[in-house]
Amino acid sequence: MALPLPLGLTHSEVAFLAEMELVTVVPRQRLESIDLLSGKTPPLRPPHRTDLPLWLALLLKKQRRANIVPPPWLHPASLAEIVHRETKVHPSSFSEPMPTSSRARQSQPGYAGRIGGNNNSDNGNGEVILSPPFQSNCTSSAPAGYLPYHWLEVAEALITHAGDDLGGNTSEIRGLLRDLVEVRAAKMRDSAETLGAEGTGGVVSLRGVGAMELAENRGFVLGVVDGVRKIGGAVETARREREEEMDLGGGGYGDGDSDDDMGI
Amino acid sequence: MDIDDILREVDPTFHAVPQEKRSLQELTRAWIAERSAPELLPWPADGLFERVNGSIKRQIEKVEEMTGDMDPKTNFALIVIQTELERFKYLIRSYLRARISKIDKHTLHYLSTDALRSRLSEMELAYATRHQALLHNHYLSSFLSSFPSGLQNLNDSAGINMVESPDLESAVFIRLLKDTLVEGRGVDSDGAMDGRESDIVILRWADAKPLVENGSAELV
Repeated sequence: MALPLPLGLTHSEVAFLAEMELVTVVPRQRLESIDLLSGKTPPLRPPHRTDLPLWLALLLKKQRRANIVPPPWLHPASLAEIVHRETKVHPSSFSEPMPTSSRARQSQPGYAGRIGGNNNSDNGNGEVILSPPFQSNCTSSAPAGYLPYHWLEVAEALITHAGDDLGGNTSEIRGLLRDLVEVRAAKMRDSAETLGAEGTGGVVSLRGVGAMELAENRGFVLGVVDGVRKIGGAVETARREREEEMDLGGGGYGDGDSDDDMGI
Repeated sequence: MDIDDILREVDPTFHAVPQEKRSLQELTRAWIAERSAPELLPWPADGLFERVNGSIKRQIEKVEEMTGDMDPKTNFALIVIQTELERFKYLIRSYLRARISKIDKHTLHYLSTDALRSRLSEMELAYATRHQALLHNHYLSSFLSSFPSGLQNLNDSAGINMVESPDLESAVFIRLLKDTLVEGRGVDSDGAMDGRESDIVILRWADAKPLVENGSAELV
């Protein structure tokens, strides 16, 4: 009865999440609105484009009721640009994640602040800040030149099930994706050095990383962090006691010390 | 209905994200958090679960009605509805099972104080108490009763504490939902970072917890 899986999402769970991403479809048949648990689907009227969750889009695609419009970031030119950026421009960090506000503005005119989560005062009345997979990162209105959080899963699903909608260059896209996977996997491995290094202060940022890459490396990365903590447990306790004594002792001395820590 | 509700009704931005989509986002977030956090998280207080469960029940009734008429047009809609239903049921099931596995692992810990007990839902509390009682009775009848009475407790905290608790210092991944200061504790030094929205950060759960609780970050 209890879930036998270890902590952290597994690959299939991440793939399940990715299927909630919205994608744009061009219907080939009329279909009335369906009353789903996640809200009514928009009625399908060919040839008007509609945004639907990936799982539904794939179902329609398999039954030849719709074609999927690939997101702009999956275009070979955009992927090639990201490969270039990942290898030449920023060889040590992941490329920037997709900006939230600009895309929210495109999909929901006028409501950008709330959806993008830039409005800090909006939590009082129970407003929910949307995060992937609910940000329309994979629709045809998403910007090119960025990778969304679920990039690998969505790309894989589209290539496998909707290859004919990708403009006939699936092998080129596949090649570019493989390049991306490899260059980013190397960065993930290199991050282990930062994780174990002195002076990180217990906070390490992996800005721009993807969901599948996290699932892949979760055990390793968290294992390193936890391992370092356990090995250094005695050192850390001793340091905390020393700092506490300093704070209690001479005020000026202690302050200077903690400032140094913050600077690192 | 008080003045806040009325104001919310007329606030155009409130309807920017429809209720159903917000429920799904909240449910998904709760599931991911429960699957990633080293300790049991509080049961959602705003009735999220009851809400989702209620709509699942209504949807099942609708499916039962729809299967009656065999019009090919509604047939496809039925497939879509059932597919989505299965997805929701999977989410709910996985969420509950993840919670049960944490409760099973540290039953006595979650039953030890009122603050910890309040994290469990009514059903979970009943399950944990009865399960623990059964277990204790079984131990008593099989071997504990032959021990001296002073050694029969399973929750002895004199000397070494017998009640195991989850490791709150284990590392987790979080995504920042807004720009915020992230403070962490490390082995050699404590640090802070000016976090930007969409940053994915590795830090200890004990340091991440306040950020997750005030809605500035979510577990991933």
